[in-house]
Order: sequence, then structure tokens, then C-alpha cells
Amino acid sequence: MSEATTHQIPGLKQKKVFKIIVLGDSGVGKTCLTYRFCEGQFLDKSEATIGVDFRERNIKIGHEDIKLQLWDTAGQERFRKSMVQHYYRNVHAVVIVYDVTKPETFHSIASWMQEVESHGLMRAPRVLVGNKCDCGTPESRLATTYAQRLADKYGMPLFETSALLDSECDNVESIFMTLAHKLYSKQPLRVVSVEGELGPGVVTLGRQKRSASSNDSCLCS
Amino acid sequence: MESNNTDADIGDKCNLNGDCSPTPNKQSFDLNNAKNIDDISTPSELKFDEEPDYEDPDVKEKKKDLEKCLENPDCINLEQWQNFAKSKAGLISDDYRRKIWPLLVGVTQEELTEPPSLDELSTHIEYNQVVLDVNRSLKRFPPGIPYEQRVALQDQLTVLILRVIMKYPHLKYYQGYHDVAITLLLVCGDRASFPLLCRLSYGPCAPLAPFMQTTMQPTQHLLNYMLPVVSRADRKLAECLDKAQVGTMFALPWYLTWFGHSLNKYTDVVRLYDYFLCAPPLFPVYVTAAIVLYRADEVYACECDMAMLHCLLSRLPDDLPFEDILVTAKTLYENNDPTDLEPEVAALERREEEQRRLDEERMKRRQAAARSRHTSLSARLRRLVPAALRRLPVSRRGALAAATVLLAVYVYYRPDLLYNRRRENALEL
Ligand SMILES: Nc1nc2c(ncn2[C@@H]2O[C@H](COP(=O)(O)OP(=O)(O)OP(=O)(O)O)[C@@H](O)[C@H]2O)c(=O)[nH]1
Ligand SMILES: [Mg+2]
Repeated sequence: MSEATTHQIPGLKQKKVFKIIVLGDSGVGKTCLTYRFCEGQFLDKSEATIGVDFRERNIKIGHEDIKLQLWDTAGQERFRKSMVQHYYRNVHAVVIVYDVTKPETFHSIASWMQEVESHGLMRAPRVLVGNKCDCGTPESRLATTYAQRLADKYGMPLFETSALLDSECDNVESIFMTLAHKLYSKQPLRVVSVEGELGPGVVTLGRQKRSASSNDSCLCS
Repeated sequence: MESNNTDADIGDKCNLNGDCSPTPNKQSFDLNNAKNIDDISTPSELKFDEEPDYEDPDVKEKKKDLEKCLENPDCINLEQWQNFAKSKAGLISDDYRRKIWPLLVGVTQEELTEPPSLDELSTHIEYNQVVLDVNRSLKRFPPGIPYEQRVALQDQLTVLILRVIMKYPHLKYYQGYHDVAITLLLVCGDRASFPLLCRLSYGPCAPLAPFMQTTMQPTQHLLNYMLPVVSRADRKLAECLDKAQVGTMFALPWYLTWFGHSLNKYTDVVRLYDYFLCAPPLFPVYVTAAIVLYRADEVYACECDMAMLHCLLSRLPDDLPFEDILVTAKTLYENNDPTDLEPEVAALERREEEQRRLDEERMKRRQAAARSRHTSLSARLRRLVPAALRRLPVSRRGALAAATVLLAVYVYYRPDLLYNRRRENALEL
């Protein structure tokens, strides 16, 4: 699960692919978050996800091009069992999303964790994301300390963010980049290290331009 | 496009749902009458279907026939309506559809009743999910629709859905049901769409009934007919799909919504509904197979990879020749009856089951391997301490042992600390 798939296209430089699955109740903003990361903007006409949608983005870690594949799953309970199962295959990392304004979506985390466990992903890098922190008042939002306690219990970092706010763009960025780095650092037989030229912790981010993506298969839902 | 107090144009530039395909031809989706619409009770006023292809002499002729038949609808039998619906261009315009769709499924005048108010329904257990999905159905409304009218239609949509699942409490709402409901609502209005949706949802041959069971298992089973149909028509293509293990998920929204969720052109959606309303329940799966067959070259050109193929196939191009695709699907159906395909479907499902079992075993092995690796690690750690331990009093020995175990546990959760020290450069996890 920690070994990234490499694409085997003869004659082409092989590119690392990290597969990340995004889970969470319906309406917490999984589609908007993945769209924000892949397209750099808020999706203001989001639709219910039926089954599984797919988006991707190319990033650079050090000098290496890496492809992040995001599997955006449907939140409705009935799609989970059997349906989405197929897509857990070869997943490298997990994002679990809840809505900070809806405690019930936070309480579902336990059952999402169970699902993650049942697919043998407990040791895969995982992050917890509280979305929609632009909504409501500080009192009406789920307290960070409370969320942090659960995140600690499961040994996963917590991010609170908003897919809506442009000012949160970097934060959304860091959710997925954290996972990418974690996966990158876990890779066996890696010779080049990021420390090389840029110094530790420096990441080069490259957002794939839509116009340039036409020949690079596609970025899509 | 002239739009007045609308909220639809804000998002127009943004590609829907992370779409990678070129922006759809918006023109085809535009309101084609500039008249201001305020009467929401007459859905036909909401003319956002494209003007039919008047150039085509067949269609012109068909229009005349349809109009003649609609003057005396009682003299026309079901088969005649079905012929209109299935043959080229289908029922042509929403004005005809509004009258004929209810006839195709046998809705009677008595069934046209006033809907209850939204407040009466808001305590239903699925209410929140339905509202959530209805609120996200903006893409299905004609661009430029006045805000108040859209909101009123969305309320009607919520009522329509809840009415059906309250009438048949064993039917479970699924995300995508709202896409079917809205198509019926936009064409037929809130009174006629209720009995129509009931017919489609409840009954031994109701096409949506399998989607509304407790699990999605029946739906998945029915979708599994697609690959054998493809295989019989084009073995090489089927092998390619099979090799990539792309599965059927790319077609799930097509089937669950009769393509309403996945097509950008409203006229394509209603054309398909014309056909589906009088076709066997499994027919949409054959249309799926016909689309995949039509796109064979794209599939061959694509990397043989699950993600890439899923991505390619799940996006439907805007210029699919649906008249041809329907003809192909009909031929496929005639040549490959569902009962004929059963053994192939069963074989496919056995293979999938086997694959699942192998996956599970592989996972268990991996977990076991991980466990033993970490036990040996903690054993190694323990070996480092015994000498020191023996010299300590018992209580301290206990404490040290506990510390060792804690360290081992810590290392279990953070193996990277030991194994990848050097590369611990990124953001801290
Ligand atoms: N205020 C606010 N609204 C948001 C944010 N993210 C998403 N939304 C809204 O929340 C609703 C649900 O967002 P989606 O991304 O479609 O939710 P999802 O988790 O993909 O839901 P399913 O596909 O049903 O599983 C949409 O109406 C979004 O516009 C956010 O950060 N802030
Ligand atoms: Mg979604």
C-alpha cells in the first residue's frame, strides 16, 4: 500500500502515482475540496456524487513529478458497501472529511475509520479534515480541541479549512501535500532527497494548467 | 443570453464537477424563448428544449402525425405512442412529451392530484438528504431561469420525491433519483410527474425499483450485463476493459439517472427518456454498452489503467449520436437477450468474487507481515536493555520494561522514524 504505482509507458519517463481516497458523509464538501485542490477554485455548482468521481493533479516534490489521483466517493451510505470497495484497491492514503457545522458528520468518523480499517488502510497516511470553517459562528462550530482529541486518538493530523474561501487555498493545498510528502518519504529505494537543493521542507508546487492538460489524459471528476 | 435576476450565470464559466471535457455548447441549453416566465404551474412554458430539427423532412412529417394523433388521443393505442417515442427524434418537443409521457406509462386522469405542502413532509427521515441533493441540482435547470422560479421548482422537486418514498416506505431514496425526478418534473409538471415517478419506482417491472432496495447489490448485478454485451459485439474491446479492471462504476450514474446526471444537453436527456419510458427495464444498460462500443477507439488510445479509463469513459462527449446509439442498443438487445447473458454475468461475478477474496487475503498477509516485523523490532529493542535491567530494582525494571513496550508501540505507529529518518523533511504528519 505504501508503494506507489509507476506508470509503465515505454519511452516515457515513468511517473509516480499516489492514490488518495476521500471519505466522509454526504454534503461535507468532499467534491468541493478535491475540486479546490485540482482546479484551484471553488466549485459553486457542486452536484451530488453518484458512485465515485475521479480528479487528478500533477505536483512536484523536489525534482520529481508526481501524479496525485483523488478518488472522490459518494457519501450516501448505500453506495459504500460493495460499490466503492473496488476503488479501495491500491489506495495509498486516506482523507476523512467532516463538516464543522454538523456534529453528526463528525460522529460518523468512527464508522468511516472502521471502513478504513476493514480495507487494511490503518497504516496508510491518513488525515482528518473539518470543512466549512467559514460557516456559522465560533460557538456553533465544532470545537477544535474536541476534534483534535479524536484526531490524536486515531493518530492522524487534523486540518480545519474551507473549500469556499480563496484565502484557505493554501491550507487545502497543504492537506494533500502533506499526504504526498508522507507517501514520498515512505517510498523505498529513493535516492534523491528533497533536502538537496532547496533545503528541507521546501516544496515546489505546480498547478497543472487546464490548457496544457489536453494531451495529459484528463483532470476530471 | 438575456438573464434577469438570475443566479445561473455566475457559475457558467466554471466547468461543472471538475469536468475535463471542453465546455459544453451552452447554446443548446439556452432558453429559446425570450418571454419572461412567471407561471411555474405550466412547465411547458419552460421551453428550454432546443427547437426541433425542422430541416429534417422525416421529423417534419412525424410532427404532423403527432399533432393529428394528439387531437384524438383516445383513438391511439399504446403501441402507436411507443412507436413515436422510439423512432427517430422521439417525441420531438416537450409540448408533446408533456401529454404523451403519462400515456406511455399508463397514468390516468384520476391520479393527477394536488401535491401536499413541503412543511407536511419535512419530518421524513430522508428529508435532509433529499434537500441536500435538490439544492445541488442547479445544473439541471435552464440557465437564466429566474431565481424565484428555480426555488419554487426545487421545492416541487423535494415534494415529488418525498411523496413517492412516503407512499412506498420500503423504497429507499438514492442520490441520483432526484435527477430522474427533475426530468419528469420539468417536462410534465408537478401533478403528472408524481404518478409517473410512482410507476417507474414501484412494481415488478418498474425500472427504478432495483435501485431503491436496501443495498446497491441488485443495481450492481444489473450493470454487470454491460461487459458481456460489449464482449459479444467486440471481444477485443471487452478484454481491454477487463484487463484494466475498470469495472462498471463509470456507468453507474448513467444507469441510476437514465443519463440525466451525466449529459450536458437537455435535449439528449429527454430524447433518451422518450425511449426508456417504453423500453424493457434493462435497456439503459444496453445503451451503456452501445456507447462504450461507439467509443472503442478512444478506449484503445487510452492508457490501459483503471483510473485513466474510468476518467475517460465517465465523461460523456457532447456530440454522441444518440439516434444511432439507440438503434445499436436495440439491435444488441434483440441479439443478446438478458436471459441468454445470465451465464456470462454469473461467470463475471464469480471472477469478481475471487478477486475480492484474493485482495482480502493479500491484505491479511500484509497486516500479519507488518505485525511480525514490528514484534521482531520490539524484541530487538528488548535485547538492548536486559543487561541494564538486571542490575535495577524490580520496580524500576518494570518501569523500564513498560517504557520499552511504549517505545515499541510508538515505533509501530511511526515506523518512518526508524526507517526513513533521513527523509523526514516534509511537513510533519
Ligand atoms: N460554506 C461552505 N460551503 C461549502 C464548503 N464546501 C462545500 N460547501 C457546500 O456544501 C455542499 C456540499 O458540498 P459537496 O462538495 O458537493 O459535498 P460532498 O461531500 O461531495 O457530498 P456527496 O457527493 O453527496 O457525498 C455544496 O452545496 C457546497 O457548495 C465550504 O467550505 N464552505
Ligand atoms: Mg461529492
